[in-house]
Amino acid sequence: MSSAPLISVRALSKHFRTFRRREGIAGGLVNLFHRDYQTLKAVDHVNFEIARGEMVGYIGPNGAGKSTTIKMLTGILMPTSGEIVSNGFVPFRQRAAYVKTIGVVFGQRTQLWWDIAVIESFKLLRRIYDVSQRDFDERMELFDQVLALRDFLHTPVRKLSLGQRMRCDLAAALLHNPPILFLDEPTIGLDVVAKDHIRQFLKTINERYKTTILLTTHDLDDIEELCRRIMIIDRGALLFDGPLAALKEQLLRTKQIKFILRDGEQAPRLAAFEQALAAAPANGALHLERLDELTCRIVFDRKRVATADLIRQILGAVEVRDFVIEDEPIEEIIKRIYGGEALTPEAPASQP
Amino acid sequence: MSTAPHPLAASRTPLRALLATYREFARIGFVNILAFRMRYYTGILTYLINVTVYYFIWRAVFSQTTGPIAGFSLPQILTYVSVGWILRSFYWNTIDQEMAYEVIEGKIAMDLIKPVSVQWMWLSRSMGESAFRLIMLTAPVAVVIGLLFPVLAPASRVHFALFFLAALGSFFLMGAINFLIGTCAIPLQSILALIRAKFWLIELLSGLLIPLKFFPHRVQAVSSWLPFEHIASTPLQIYLGMLSPMESLRLLALQYAWVAALLALGHFWWARATRKITIHGG
Repeated sequence: MSSAPLISVRALSKHFRTFRRREGIAGGLVNLFHRDYQTLKAVDHVNFEIARGEMVGYIGPNGAGKSTTIKMLTGILMPTSGEIVSNGFVPFRQRAAYVKTIGVVFGQRTQLWWDIAVIESFKLLRRIYDVSQRDFDERMELFDQVLALRDFLHTPVRKLSLGQRMRCDLAAALLHNPPILFLDEPTIGLDVVAKDHIRQFLKTINERYKTTILLTTHDLDDIEELCRRIMIIDRGALLFDGPLAALKEQLLRTKQIKFILRDGEQAPRLAAFEQALAAAPANGALHLERLDELTCRIVFDRKRVATADLIRQILGAVEVRDFVIEDEPIEEIIKRIYGGEALTPEAPASQP
Repeated sequence: MSTAPHPLAASRTPLRALLATYREFARIGFVNILAFRMRYYTGILTYLINVTVYYFIWRAVFSQTTGPIAGFSLPQILTYVSVGWILRSFYWNTIDQEMAYEVIEGKIAMDLIKPVSVQWMWLSRSMGESAFRLIMLTAPVAVVIGLLFPVLAPASRVHFALFFLAALGSFFLMGAINFLIGTCAIPLQSILALIRAKFWLIELLSGLLIPLKFFPHRVQAVSSWLPFEHIASTPLQIYLGMLSPMESLRLLALQYAWVAALLALGHFWWARATRKITIHGG
């Protein structure tokens, strides 16, 4: 039971038919009688599996197909082709029974009733999901501890701040303690503190109940803090599926060293070092940037230059007070993937 | 196919839990309407104005004659109009408008992630609103209208009892039709024109504005094959005793048959339409 995946997606596609409107009056009249359809492949032959208790980050640029995938996984949209089995259900076909076993949060929408107090919505959800009063009280207690809901339980949803509403929506999605939680941009528009609240809560839930979580986001801090595994989709196709560390290993191209000189007297030696670096063809002619009087930066290709070698060279040339060595930010890597940089064929296309 | 399918057949929820769920939706509907005080007061006023307008129109019509017109005497037609508007304050709902709004906003997705029949969710919410209006709107309006205008008592106790059953039928008929129209928003996106067309069709063919007996025979014949006259005309004719108890029962059965048929149609139409859902944004 533990080896079988909880969610399995095979050759999943969703194509939308859209029609091109003709312009002008004549075009408008033609539109009345004849339409030119074109097919948009929002999701195209996507495969993946998710095991119980995993927390997976699902990222991609706007319009890449993230939300469409989530909507098929939650039974809202019917796939054009392909197969989904989630928690033993076929989501669209067995919708009413299936959604009882999942929790869903769409960051841009709320499932709470807009004009009535939050607690009323919770009471309704307790009924819908058939949660006993004891379980309900226990979970509300836990949610309150992590999310601090008590202060605004009696406020109508429309009067809540975005952060408060988001916390309520999370609690609402987890009231029935579902084994699977789908989150579509749960931290969108939130401030740093609210984001942290949400992340802590998701960690707690995942550890305590082994809740499987699939979340889409544009905030890569969400991924770095929460998810060991990341899936990248663009133009409907899955580009990467694997551990975040593997993505870095594969695509991390550059690193940078910042160093701070001991004092201003190093200037002549530094100038000589700069020339030597620029002249060394094996290193690909490194460029030394001066950030201020004492601080310098060298960006280098990690495949051509060993970090240790470079440090040794620097230490041999000048007297240094401090070093900072950094990887290329994950944002830069993702940007390059969206930009069309091909992943090498030995990439783990899917989890074994 | 003749009856509405069981809303949660797939999940085998015990009936008791199921009823509790939909009762809760009704409660939400009730609480929700309480949130809008202004809408409540203007609602009462609107109904009073409508009855007043029709009162004077019919008085004018009957000032030219002493005998009954199309089988209605003046006291009967005034009762028809008054009770008609009182009845409308109960069966009225805006499921179609709310659904259209939800589709445009993309909120329809949030209905689909709940483990309930969307059709019964809407019906029970509206039931809650109607229950609210029954106490807070229909009853006061009935009292005021009864004091202001010469309203006849129901024809008999039997007729009055049957009238209540028919009023409940009117609610479900209206709800079933509105759900059908509302579901059209999924493939069509904008259904404002459709909602308007339905509004006038029902105002006219339900017999609320003008009793159907005033229409040409051919229109009456066509209308008898349509569900709309069972929304207002049927319960009102029962109230006035224009139908014998047996005839009333026959029409009542026909009314509920329409309810079942339209609910079933709504169920299948919804199932078909949701296959084609496209949700923009997000």
